[in-house]
Amino acid sequence: MKKTLTLLLSAGLVATATQAFSSPKEDLQHFRAYFEQRFPGVQLNDFSNGPYALDASKRLQWESMEEFPPYEEYVDKGREIWETPFKNGKSFASCFGKDPSKVRVKYPHWDSKTQQVVTLEGDINKCLKANGEKPFGWKKGKIAHLGAYLGYEARGQKTNVVIPNDPKALEAYEEGKHFFYAKRGQLNMACADCHVYYSGQRIRGNTLSAALGHTTHFPVFRAKWAKKGKGDGLGTLHRRYGGCNKQVRARPFKAQGKEYRNLEFFHTYMSNGLEINAPGYRE
Amino acid sequence: MTKFTQRLGGTTTVLALCAGLVFSAQASADDIAAGKKIAFDRKKGNCLACHQIEGGSLAGTIAPPLVGMKARFPDKAKLRAQIWDSTVANPNSIMPPMGRHKVLTEKEIDLVTDFIYSL
Amino acid sequence: MKKLITALGLALLIAGCNATTPQKPTSMKAQYEAALAETQAAVKKAASVGGEWRDIRWKKSKKKYLPSAVKAAEAGDYAKALKLLDIAKFQAEAGYKQAMAQKNAGPRF
Repeated sequence: MKKTLTLLLSAGLVATATQAFSSPKEDLQHFRAYFEQRFPGVQLNDFSNGPYALDASKRLQWESMEEFPPYEEYVDKGREIWETPFKNGKSFASCFGKDPSKVRVKYPHWDSKTQQVVTLEGDINKCLKANGEKPFGWKKGKIAHLGAYLGYEARGQKTNVVIPNDPKALEAYEEGKHFFYAKRGQLNMACADCHVYYSGQRIRGNTLSAALGHTTHFPVFRAKWAKKGKGDGLGTLHRRYGGCNKQVRARPFKAQGKEYRNLEFFHTYMSNGLEINAPGYRE
Repeated sequence: MTKFTQRLGGTTTVLALCAGLVFSAQASADDIAAGKKIAFDRKKGNCLACHQIEGGSLAGTIAPPLVGMKARFPDKAKLRAQIWDSTVANPNSIMPPMGRHKVLTEKEIDLVTDFIYSL
Repeated sequence: MKKLITALGLALLIAGCNATTPQKPTSMKAQYEAALAETQAAVKKAASVGGEWRDIRWKKSKKKYLPSAVKAAEAGDYAKALKLLDIAKFQAEAGYKQAMAQKNAGPRF
């Protein structure tokens, strides 16, 4: 009798423990359900248009921008970067394969050999270094132009981040997830505060975008980034991560460091199933 | 000391105390104006980021409009406490803990409270 | 004779005063150095849990309280340096507390 009782008890404990832990798949279901409930009538894929999907007046503004997108020249610049051979005669195709439309969708992914999250920007610079070329800066300029081109070529493909059944990969996902939901900075805000719980509301005149659909349109042309001294307006995902952290008065982490790569891993996974629509335009 | 001077001293003290009470209970117009300046300053209170406030333009909609404050916070001290640290009432509050995190100084919080209480 | 005794007495008094009262600049400097060590430890602690705030020492911050304190001390203004260290230390400790309080942060849905 004692043995049966102990067995039952331990089984019960195990059951509750596994119930308390949610898998990425379950997280994704809850995430989507939250936003579908918060914004009834918005189709799943429309979320990739950010605040323009949530605010009718902004949508008109955005649609007119999409007619003559200010980012077109950056896609062209990116194409040139992709097609221009390195000094050693090789090119980006030597690293990524000949078809530029097949590149973007593979990122970010877990690399079991190096035991870390690998991003597109990471592999771009890895390719440059391997071929004796100077790596690009992480946040704007050439890396964003190339990202814009590869993103543009991949338009329409569904985000598909894979989290392998590897405890270290899961750990990286959980770290990214924690980062997203934890309050930080002197202003005591989490990514989730603005982009989940208050998404759709306005901060001064700006509508807070929903985290669902966030990553599909990066690299992004941001009007604020096109001001004097700040560059041509195009920026990478990690550039925006740094900017947001700075805005809540937290010290920004390094672009392409562990924190932001793990965050990207979680963040992009949450938009699985949504079509890539890079590069995007935002205010 | 004569009874008269004693009485005079007593009355003066009472009057002085009353005057003190009056001054501490009501914020001066200057204090309210100073509080408004801090509240509207993007680098200080930045209250308009989230709250609609009379006299402010293009306010955010994240948080409740600040109106009818005496009815909502009859006790001014409670309003000050909410500004000082909104996470006491709601641990998930998106509002920065203006006092606990020293976003504003204690004096600035006094003045902002004066202003918000007047709305 | 009287004058000599008075002069000697006065000299002894002054010498005595100098011996017991520490030099002001050294005291402030010592205070600063102690505060600096404490602040640096607090910042390291906050950074170790990913809880460092923006204005403590980040190069692009407009405040940079910690480097500003060091700069003030180098210019001899220990009072200013101590004030700035005070802010930096407060922010570091608050950031650490915040990160620890957020350990179980997760979705509320």
